[in-house]
Amino acid sequence: MRKRRHRWLDHTSEVQLQVEAESLAGLAAEAGRALGLLLLREGHDVPVRPEGPARKIQVESVDREALLVDWLNEILFLAEVERWVAVEFDILEISSVHLKASALGVPVEESPALVKAATFHGLAVEERAGGLQAEVIFDV
Amino acid sequence: MSRKNRKAAQFSKARTQDRPPAPPKAAPPSYPSVRLSPNLVEIPITARDDMNVPARIWADEELWKQISRDRTLHQLINVSTLPGITGTAQAMPDAHEGYGFPVGGVAAFRARDGIISPGGVGYDINCGVRLLASEIEAGELGHPRLESLIQDLSRAIPSGTGKGSHLRFAGEDLDRVLGEGCAYLAERGLATAEDLDTIEARGSLATADPRAVSDRAKQRGGDQLGSIGSGNHFVEVQRVEKLFDLGAAEALRLRVGQVVILIHTGSRGLGHQVCTDYVRAMDAVMARHGIRLPDRELACAPFQSPEGQKYFGAMCAAANFAFSNRQAITWAAREVFRKALGEHRGLRVVYDVAHNMAKLERHGEEDLVVHRKGATRAFGPSHPETPAIYKGIGQPVLIPGSMGTASYVLVGTDEGFDLSYGSTCHGAGRAMSRTAAKKVQSGAEVRKGLEDRGIVVRASVGELAEEAPYAYKDVDRVVEVVHQAGLARKVARLVPLGVIKG
Repeated sequence: MRKRRHRWLDHTSEVQLQVEAESLAGLAAEAGRALGLLLLREGHDVPVRPEGPARKIQVESVDREALLVDWLNEILFLAEVERWVAVEFDILEISSVHLKASALGVPVEESPALVKAATFHGLAVEERAGGLQAEVIFDV
Repeated sequence: MSRKNRKAAQFSKARTQDRPPAPPKAAPPSYPSVRLSPNLVEIPITARDDMNVPARIWADEELWKQISRDRTLHQLINVSTLPGITGTAQAMPDAHEGYGFPVGGVAAFRARDGIISPGGVGYDINCGVRLLASEIEAGELGHPRLESLIQDLSRAIPSGTGKGSHLRFAGEDLDRVLGEGCAYLAERGLATAEDLDTIEARGSLATADPRAVSDRAKQRGGDQLGSIGSGNHFVEVQRVEKLFDLGAAEALRLRVGQVVILIHTGSRGLGHQVCTDYVRAMDAVMARHGIRLPDRELACAPFQSPEGQKYFGAMCAAANFAFSNRQAITWAAREVFRKALGEHRGLRVVYDVAHNMAKLERHGEEDLVVHRKGATRAFGPSHPETPAIYKGIGQPVLIPGSMGTASYVLVGTDEGFDLSYGSTCHGAGRAMSRTAAKKVQSGAEVRKGLEDRGIVVRASVGELAEEAPYAYKDVDRVVEVVHQAGLARKVARLVPLGVIKG
């Protein structure tokens, strides 16, 4: 089983996510899951039962840091406009400038506009022993 | 416990107990500084090689200690490196760490060769405050009547995350809101001519360009006009507790014991998406403009470039949406007051002012693009943009305190125009992270504490814990600094009777 995990770091005014995974695909999937759970205000240990059908999400960016931000902002957009919070991802294609995923999500009655955006501030995708680590700050 | 509350409690537990503990964050960089006065500290231009101007922080000793704890100063110094910045990069006494610019940051860039930065305005474009004055005395509102009023207001004004209002603007209607702001709402019967007289820029920025706002932004926010949103946004029913300047209070028609309503919200999802779109767009063109940044969230473009002008047009359109949002909330509040208290109990707009905005302003001999991110414009009595009815006292400045604490009405000064580009603080300013705040008290405990003080609360417990009063700086101290420094002058202190939050 691939090692993936996320945690929330202290930030005076915003919300800062730290994600670890063995690959860029794992990193994107885990970051997306963390954001989805945040939007649903669920802990990562709380079972979330996404419903079908799966939806395709695709983003194009200029580099892998921007790809992560654009990916998360796309999940936010879908949550707020489509009232559908993606929480489970199968990354179908990924490079440093392209991501295509199949996602399962949870329909919600009210669009969860808890998060305004994923930002570039302090954004880093770094090689670590055993994989990659990323930090992203969300404006809330 | 409701399902929503149970979810929030579970979320809080999971965040604090079940995840691997986060390692301690690296200490923020330390910079040399010199205190220029009891309320002003300067970081010299030599503190970092890439600074273009010195940085100044309006703070007494206590607030300076609080501001120095996180990365506020580091972010302010990053701002001081931006192309075309003039004078000093400034932080207000409520400043704290944000993303890109610090919250509470003020920076002015030459319009002829400087930049404009979406990150210098923030995602909540024209987040701001509006004060409505009623003709009711707090003594007239017994607790049951107050509870009923707050309940009615919370029904009429959607508060929660992503909730839209009863108003729907789409297509050409939405474009007219974006292009004309409150002037269009007046045409639709949702604003009066008197309302427009006491809104910053009359609630309508002529430089707005609805065509520069993406369809995605319109989709995201089009149904949110007339709603509060989440985070620290709120509608409070308050009582004027104390007056500091009787002459100014008379001009503002405020008196002790009067019931007022403070509205704190912005451009909702529409503004968030405009910022997202343009941070991305500017990130892609900076290399072409030869701009190198210490922080990618400071993404910017020359103000005179096509990208800079397009963002300015979109930002002004989002700002018009925010002015209109606060106007739509005003209209809903008036309906509630009319039904509950009678036709003669109207709500007058005292003022409406932004605290997240970039504005083109004349300072001395230069046109400057003044970015205020978590800072309030505070023009003095002689400034041409100060409304005619306030010419004798200065432009009203509205400072929302943290939930359950005091808010303030101040007025701008002519002196402040030179000291801080006509800017002052915007609130108490966070002092504690959301996670840390949740460890102090649960949302239910915060609610009980407020209710024990007689404050009626309509909010989710999750939000309450994150926005508890102790998570913020002392608003009285913050306001005293700007008053003593001459950036603005205290007029009135307001205390809450009832709170409506997301």
